[in-house]
Amino acid sequence: MTTNDLQRMANRLRLDVVETVHAAGDGHPGPCMSIADIVSVLFFEEMKLDPANPRWPERDRFVLSKGHACPMLYAALARKGYFSMDELPKLRTLEGILQGHPDYNKTPGIDTVSGSLGNGIAIGLGMALGCRMQKIDNYVYVIVGDGEQQEGIIWEAAMAAAKHKVGNLIVFGDCNNNQSGGKVTDLSSLYPVADKWSAFHWHVQTIDGHDIDAIRNAIAEAKKVTDKPSYIECKTVKGKNIPYMEHNNAWHKRTPTAEEVEIAREALRGALWE
Amino acid sequence: MGVKSTREATMKAILDLAREDEKIVIISPDAVAAARAVPFQQEFPDRVIEVGIAEQDAVDVAAGLATTGMRPVVISYAGFLTMRACEMIRTFIAYPGLNVKLIGLNGGMLGGEREGVTHQFYEDVGILRSMPGVKIITPADAGQAYQAAKAMMEIDGPVYLRLGSGREPEVFPEETPFEFGKIREVMSYGDDVAVFASGFIMNRAIEAVEQLKAEGVNATLIDVATVKPLDSKGVAAVLERCNCAVAVEDHNFYGGMSSAICEVACHFHPCKVRRLGLRDVYPRSGVAAELLDAYGLAVQDIVDAAKDAMSNK
Repeated sequence: MTTNDLQRMANRLRLDVVETVHAAGDGHPGPCMSIADIVSVLFFEEMKLDPANPRWPERDRFVLSKGHACPMLYAALARKGYFSMDELPKLRTLEGILQGHPDYNKTPGIDTVSGSLGNGIAIGLGMALGCRMQKIDNYVYVIVGDGEQQEGIIWEAAMAAAKHKVGNLIVFGDCNNNQSGGKVTDLSSLYPVADKWSAFHWHVQTIDGHDIDAIRNAIAEAKKVTDKPSYIECKTVKGKNIPYMEHNNAWHKRTPTAEEVEIAREALRGALWE
Repeated sequence: MGVKSTREATMKAILDLAREDEKIVIISPDAVAAARAVPFQQEFPDRVIEVGIAEQDAVDVAAGLATTGMRPVVISYAGFLTMRACEMIRTFIAYPGLNVKLIGLNGGMLGGEREGVTHQFYEDVGILRSMPGVKIITPADAGQAYQAAKAMMEIDGPVYLRLGSGREPEVFPEETPFEFGKIREVMSYGDDVAVFASGFIMNRAIEAVEQLKAEGVNATLIDVATVKPLDSKGVAAVLERCNCAVAVEDHNFYGGMSSAICEVACHFHPCKVRRLGLRDVYPRSGVAAELLDAYGLAVQDIVDAAKDAMSNK
C-alpha cells in the first residue's frame, strides 16, 4: 500500500471506532485514535497474517497491551476479514464475539487476552521466546500505552527481554501523555521514558507515531537489530483526527452521540475519500 | 517412615517427560535451585527460561509461550505464585485456558516451617479454588508427587501442583497408584467416621486412624489428592457410609480441601464434618513437627475431632 493508502486506512479505522462505540453505547474511543496509524501499518502492510487461518503457527503476533483500545483492533481485524463488519456494533453485548477487552478464544485474530494493564510485554516476550525456540521466523509486535508503563511488571519484562536478547520483539510505546485519571506527567515521573528503555539495554527509537513513513522506517531499523528487543517511542495525540476528542481526556471512555458521529465523518471526509 | 523430597520427585517426573517432548520448558523466577531443577537445567540448559526474581513476569511469559504451542512449567514458591502473580494466573492463563503448569513450593505451615509467615503458604489452595478453570493437586508424599506431576502433564490446561519443603514424610509405597480427579481409600477399619486428608499431613492422619482403632473407633481414611475438581461423587459416597467426618489439611480454615468437603456434604449428604487446619491466624517460625502440634494439627487433635464428629450420629 502507498503511504497515502495507509493514512486513509488509519482514518477509516478511526471512523469505524467512532461508529462502533456509538452503536454499542460503550467503549474507549479516545485511546484508539492515537494508535490508528501504527495499527494501519502493522495490519495492512507489515504483519505476516492469514485471516482464513487465525492460529497459523508461522504468523506474526500482535499484543494490544492497552487492551481498552480494542475497538481499533476489532476494526482492523474486521477489515482484514477475520470476521464480519456486522460484528462491530455488537461490541460488548452477549450477542457478539467482541468482548470489552480482547479475548483469546471468542474473537478470531486475537493472540492473547489483554486489558489488565502492564502485562503485554511479558506475554509478548513469552511469544517471542516460544517462536524462536520453534525456529519460527517471525516478529511479535506489542503496543503499550505510556500510562501503563507505571506498572512494575513492565520493567520486570524489560529486564528479562534484554537478557534473552529477543530481537524478534518490537514494542511500540503509544506516548500520548494521557491516562484515565489525567496527564501521565502529572500522575507519575515516567518521563523521560526512552532513556529508561535504553538503560534496560533495549534498542530505542523515537518517532512521530502519526507519520506512516516514520513508523515503517522504525520497524525496518528495529528488524536490523537481532540481539536486542526494540522499543519505539511514538509521540502521539490522544483522540487524534477526531476534532472534539483531540487532547481531550474526557474521551478516554465516552460514547459519541449521533451528531458527534456526523462531525467525525465530516472531519475525516477529506482524509478518507479525497 | 522415611523422608523424601516432593520437590525432587516432581522435577524427576518433569525431566523424564521432557526427554520425550522438547516443547516442555521450565520458567524460573530464580527458583531452579529451590525447585531442584538443576538436573533439568544441566540436561536442557536451553529449556530453562530464567526471568529473575519476577513471578508476575514468569507467569505472563509462560502464557505467551503456551500460545505458541510450548508446554511451560512455572516453578516458584506457592505464595509468590498464587498471591503475587495471582491476577496473571487468573486473567492470562486460567481465563484463556492455556496449557501452563504451576508448581508451588512451601505449601502449608510444614512447607515454610522455620522460615516464618513470609514463606509459609496456607492460602494457595483457597485462592486457586476460587478461579474457574484451574485444577489443583496436593500429593501426600514424594512418590505421589512423582505420579501427580506425570498425570498433570497429561492434562491440557492450567494445573497447580502443591509441593512442600522437600522434607516430606514418605507415607505410601512407591508403587501406590495415583489417579487424577479421584479420591483414594488409604485404609478402612470401618464406618464409624471418615477422615479426609490432603497433602503432607497424611502421616499424621494415618497415625490418628491407628490410634482411633486402638481405642475402639473404626475409621476410614481418604486421600483427597485432587482438590479441584473434587471427586464429589466419591466424597458423597464416603459420607453416606460413615455419616460423619473429619477433614484435615495444612491450609487455612477457609477455602481449602476441608471447605470443599463441606460444600459436598451440604449438597449431597448433610452430616457433621469437623475441620482441622490453621484456624485463621498467622503462625510462627518453628521446627516442622512442633509447629503443626502448636497450631492444632497434632495427631491427638485429629483423634479428638473424630470422636467429636461421631458424637452427634
